[in-house]
Amino acid sequence: MDILCKVVDNFGDIGVVYRLARALCDLEPALKLRLIVDDLGSFRSLCPAIDARVPVQEALGWTVVRWDTDAGGDHRAALAACGDPPPRLVIESFACGRPDWFEELLFDPGRPGKRFIVNLEYLCAEPWADDFHRMDSLTRSPLVAKRIFMPGFTSRTGGLILDRVFVEARERWSAASSEASDEASDESAAQDCSAARRAFAAASGLRLAAGDENRFWCTVFSYERDYSRIVADLAAWNRAKPLLALAAAGKSQACFLDAWEAEGRPFPVLALPFLAQETWDEVLLASDFAIVRGEESWARASLSGRPFLWQAYPQSSRHHLVKVRAFLDRLRPFLDEEDFKRVEALHLAFNDRQTDGPDTCGTENLFPLLSGWAGLEAGYQAFSDSLIANGDLARHLLTFLREIV
Amino acid sequence: MLTTSQIHGGSVFKMGNDILVVQRMLGVKSGRAGMVKRLRVKNLLTGQTSDVGLDSGEKFEEVDLDLFQMKLSYIDGNTYVFMEQTSFEQYEISKEDLGDNAGYISPDDDVIVEMTFFEGKPVGMTLPTGVVRTITYCEPGIKGDTSGKSSKPATLDTGIEVGVPLFCEIGTKILLDTRDGSFIERAK
Repeated sequence: MDILCKVVDNFGDIGVVYRLARALCDLEPALKLRLIVDDLGSFRSLCPAIDARVPVQEALGWTVVRWDTDAGGDHRAALAACGDPPPRLVIESFACGRPDWFEELLFDPGRPGKRFIVNLEYLCAEPWADDFHRMDSLTRSPLVAKRIFMPGFTSRTGGLILDRVFVEARERWSAASSEASDEASDESAAQDCSAARRAFAAASGLRLAAGDENRFWCTVFSYERDYSRIVADLAAWNRAKPLLALAAAGKSQACFLDAWEAEGRPFPVLALPFLAQETWDEVLLASDFAIVRGEESWARASLSGRPFLWQAYPQSSRHHLVKVRAFLDRLRPFLDEEDFKRVEALHLAFNDRQTDGPDTCGTENLFPLLSGWAGLEAGYQAFSDSLIANGDLARHLLTFLREIV
Repeated sequence: MLTTSQIHGGSVFKMGNDILVVQRMLGVKSGRAGMVKRLRVKNLLTGQTSDVGLDSGEKFEEVDLDLFQMKLSYIDGNTYVFMEQTSFEQYEISKEDLGDNAGYISPDDDVIVEMTFFEGKPVGMTLPTGVVRTITYCEPGIKGDTSGKSSKPATLDTGIEVGVPLFCEIGTKILLDTRDGSFIERAK
């Protein structure tokens, strides 16, 4: 099986592909995977076994091929790596297209046998995901059949990737129960969570100050924006419940720290370095609340069972608000009416922007959400459980491939 | 080569040895790398129709076809009769083969369309991107709502139903995008 990936923005695309590759191989250890990736540097950031300088290599049992192996057009190494056996099952992540040299192999009319492409689309909460899932899609040749495979939030889609490492981590954190911020909660559960956080931080090289493990953990990973309103609300919340903000590496970190400085450093902040995928998953699972962006972290936050705020990638004519409203529609059944109204208001205000930048500021009010915390955790947990019940995207994908091949 | 974004109602292209014409656009959605479409295609060689998807990044060989400028003369049941604008010869095409495009034209119009011929027979047509149609039925308009953000169903003089902004009334002339049936603006 070949998996194609083009890195468009940050680590979301390659993050999904890396996770999918691991999940597929966990399910089918005999599966031979070739990963064709345009940015091996980004891949290496997530998977240190990759050497970004080598156009064709073996790593983690996979053959890894650089998309454009040579700017001068010499693709002999790539052709050799992908020509034996020639491509038959191809996962095209997010309709990323195919390199020309790969196209020649795939559409070669002289080769017997049918070939199959599955376009693994991006995560979408809109109803059309149900309708387009598993749909035939045209190619220029009857030799190459194509299907669309939609990740999603319903049982009529392919679901979300439930890789073994993530599921085990989710179970661990669920057992530890992150209720340290709830004064009325069981004290031993809070202690379990604090102990788990201490152990996790030590194992991951994150430096916590004394007592940080008992604070309300708020993780921040978004696009660029003016964070002054969020920081002011977190400062107010911190007066009632001591808070630790974990500012993820990336576009939002500087914006968040600038606002935090301007507000007079009202609570402690841990500026996170770039983290391995598994470590980042655990940061989300260990947090009480998170602000996440894009697709990969959105999916992990949805599965975490913790309350979160999602920032969608901005699109022209504010089309991203359609996507945000669709997501809110998925979440609505799991929250009571008042809780939902606060979640909805926050999401729409936070996402109501045309473009991103350090001066972009919305009308968001985080404090009403935090101050009405009690019902949120149960609601988001139930939402997350429903997604787990939908099953594993990797397993669904393998089943689907067996059906069509 | 035709790319995904260039394919719309009336487009004709090759898939292997087969020749497909797009009869209906059943849905156009915003995928990650571009538009993901759902369309009804007819195989001109076998006559079979099928509903299929089309996502971005695919390319298709164009078909060498004859194109003629025509105007709709009249409609006889499910048969649309067009007149070629230089020879004044008449050609018939079924409503089914016109697909979505049948809903955008009327014999009362001055709209000139480009008719596609394959082996001497009309198989589809391409319309101007925008056509003006009149609303024959909709719920009463809401004055003052000119945002266009909310919509309601409206029946047009050709019998099809489209979504229009709340301020529209019966008799309002509207400019429609023939690629997807969306409202563009109130016609002047």
